[in-house]
Amino acid sequence: MSRSKNLAVKYLVAAILFFGVMTLSGLMSAAYYIQPDFLFGLIPFSIAKMLHIDTMIIWLLMGFMGAVYWFLPDEFEIEPAGIWAAEILFWVFVSAVLVVAATFVLVQWGAGTETTLWLVQQGRKYVEAPRWAAIGVALVMLVFAWNVVGTALRARRFTGIMAVMSVNMVPLVLLYLIAFPKIDNMAVDLYWWWWLVHLWVEATWEILIGCIMALAVMKLLGTSRKIVEGWLYVEVSMVLGTGILGLGHHYFWIGTPDYWLGIGGFFSALEPLPLLGMVVHAVYDAGVHRMKTTNRPAFYWTLAEAFGNFLGGGVFGFMITLPQLNLFAHGTQWTVSHGHFAFWGAYACGVLSVCYIALQEQRRLAVVNGRGWVWAFVLLNGGLIGMVGSLLVAGMAQTFFERAIGGSTLEAFIAGQENPWFVLGMYSRMFFGLIFTAGYLTLAWNLLALGHREAAAVAQPAPAE
Amino acid sequence: MPKGFIGKVRLGARLMQYDDPKFWRAGAISTTVVMAIALGMLTVDSLEAITPGGSHVPPYSVINRHIGYVYNGRLGRDMPVIGADEPLFGKPVTETEAAAFMERGKLVIQSRSCINCHTFMGNGAYYAPDLTKAWLDPAWDTWMAITGADTKEEAMVRFLMAPEQYATWLRKMPNLGISRDEAVATVAYLKWLSSIDTNGFPIHFGRPQTSR
Amino acid sequence: MTPGVLLVTSVSLGFMVLAAGAYALLYGIGRFRNSRGLLVSAGFAYGALVLDAAGLILAAPLALEWKLLIAGSALAYLGIPPLTWRYLQHTHREERAHP
Repeated sequence: MSRSKNLAVKYLVAAILFFGVMTLSGLMSAAYYIQPDFLFGLIPFSIAKMLHIDTMIIWLLMGFMGAVYWFLPDEFEIEPAGIWAAEILFWVFVSAVLVVAATFVLVQWGAGTETTLWLVQQGRKYVEAPRWAAIGVALVMLVFAWNVVGTALRARRFTGIMAVMSVNMVPLVLLYLIAFPKIDNMAVDLYWWWWLVHLWVEATWEILIGCIMALAVMKLLGTSRKIVEGWLYVEVSMVLGTGILGLGHHYFWIGTPDYWLGIGGFFSALEPLPLLGMVVHAVYDAGVHRMKTTNRPAFYWTLAEAFGNFLGGGVFGFMITLPQLNLFAHGTQWTVSHGHFAFWGAYACGVLSVCYIALQEQRRLAVVNGRGWVWAFVLLNGGLIGMVGSLLVAGMAQTFFERAIGGSTLEAFIAGQENPWFVLGMYSRMFFGLIFTAGYLTLAWNLLALGHREAAAVAQPAPAE
Repeated sequence: MPKGFIGKVRLGARLMQYDDPKFWRAGAISTTVVMAIALGMLTVDSLEAITPGGSHVPPYSVINRHIGYVYNGRLGRDMPVIGADEPLFGKPVTETEAAAFMERGKLVIQSRSCINCHTFMGNGAYYAPDLTKAWLDPAWDTWMAITGADTKEEAMVRFLMAPEQYATWLRKMPNLGISRDEAVATVAYLKWLSSIDTNGFPIHFGRPQTSR
Repeated sequence: MTPGVLLVTSVSLGFMVLAAGAYALLYGIGRFRNSRGLLVSAGFAYGALVLDAAGLILAAPLALEWKLLIAGSALAYLGIPPLTWRYLQHTHREERAHP
């Protein structure tokens, strides 16, 4: 197997492991809402939560990288440029993440100095990693960009998909620079921070996962390049056409002028439209190609991607995006419910699909099937939907009692948090979080074990499923 | 609908324009460029508004003044109101000194990762309360009593230095080793923060509504 | 906007997009299977969307421009499934004719 594919497997394995850390720290964070003394004095809520959201970004990023390293040699039929650097940086990346995680847990905070920002943590959501680590991450991403663009140049061809991916690398990498500065003015800090977060997860990441899914669908369903490329361009037009100014839905309340209420609300309200198109596309593919896939889990996770993206991002987002409503719901568990659903649907499902695609080829399986992946699929998606529903109930209670009625003071906050519907939501979320965790363990086991028995039976026809 | 879409009538087997990937590629490029330019222009304008002294963000020396939050009938929303002199700890500061407080205060907020329990303008984590208008919260009266402080800012400082000693609820804030200097800077920061015009967020702060 | 109206409005907005998704799903499966029953169900899903949008336009405490946006969205949601389907069919057919 090519070096790039070997590296891809390493990245996908690391991704799944960090997915586990995310799940564990998620359980810890959820526990605090039910038992406020849980680990208080040892690992405060903020640390558990920081681990949770940061490992989410890390595992998804590693998943994307694994996917790209997997498909690169197939796209260009040569070993990617600079793969030696990427191989070294993989270990640097993983080590850095582990050191940073250990710092978060064991050191936790420092004095209010620049030194703390360099060595301990920077305290800006998702990009808390200390500056030394941020430099490492930036380097990893630069080499990643080089691996993509350099290979295209070396092979002397830019396929449509790779052209989109390459161009997308520029804003993807440049936006990460926003992780570095310390900006005194909170309004300005948040202004730029939202460029990083929104233009990652609602723009450049959407493009990247679009490219990855295009490559996946070509492999999984044998769809022609021309068709997936055409569709990719449709997606890019509509996602960026709505998403770039949809950034404005984060600028309602941070001190920016009120024209953002109109601009942000309008473009944000249009963001579900391309997602609906993706649902139609998924149904089309499912219908036309259904009989021809040898990799059921990969296919089902691709479908989960299209539907999850639409439901989590489109439906749940649209509930709270109009500014008149967002004024009440902003910064509540309603936001959390939307965030969990959207990230899961738009990105996690896609990465899991690629895991199964890579697995099929790596273990030389004629057919990928079985009961294990089904259990993982049901438990993970069921658990996620249960969590999201619980958070929705809690969020609506919070919006109603803390904001709409309570007057948003500390007293109102406490009243909201102690409201029976809110508390119910927290217990329910924990319950479904445990189901999700069971799903994760099943998934990890399935990915580990799948095919080792079947590999011996590759020559024999697979039983009809 | 696609930009510049012109429906072409299909003649025989000739491809219609919207089926050609190149059509959508052109659409993707032009859409992105136009939107990016629009975002750029709006950014220039917004940055001006949110610079201290701009239309939405008072200069840092506002910490020398009384800050209120009052419903503005004409605008139909709450607006911060800057009032008479009310210096922190009774000591007025210069613009430079105020800026130094902001720098220190922001370093404290980042080094302790406050945003991973609290929210600022609704951004952050939702385990602890939103701090946008924390300076104006009526609850500080309680903390003045339990910390034995004469002023709100003194109560806030004492709380920040030893939050675990002054818990009023089941959820507790941990001790984060905040020194007195750091606490003073943070309180100054929160006072300035409450003066920002956030287009009415949080809604009717401090005025519980009776009708459902 | 009273607290109750706030929740109802938000849920209605979410429902509108959900109905659009149901319409798209039923439309797609219905077209693929050439099933009149499913296509009629798709119509009902879109009907639910229209009723929901109408409710919002008539009763929600939103300014006119937002109601126009809702109406425009409802129309866009009507067109996306059949237009997307036509695009996909056409590109796949062309691909088979001119590989």
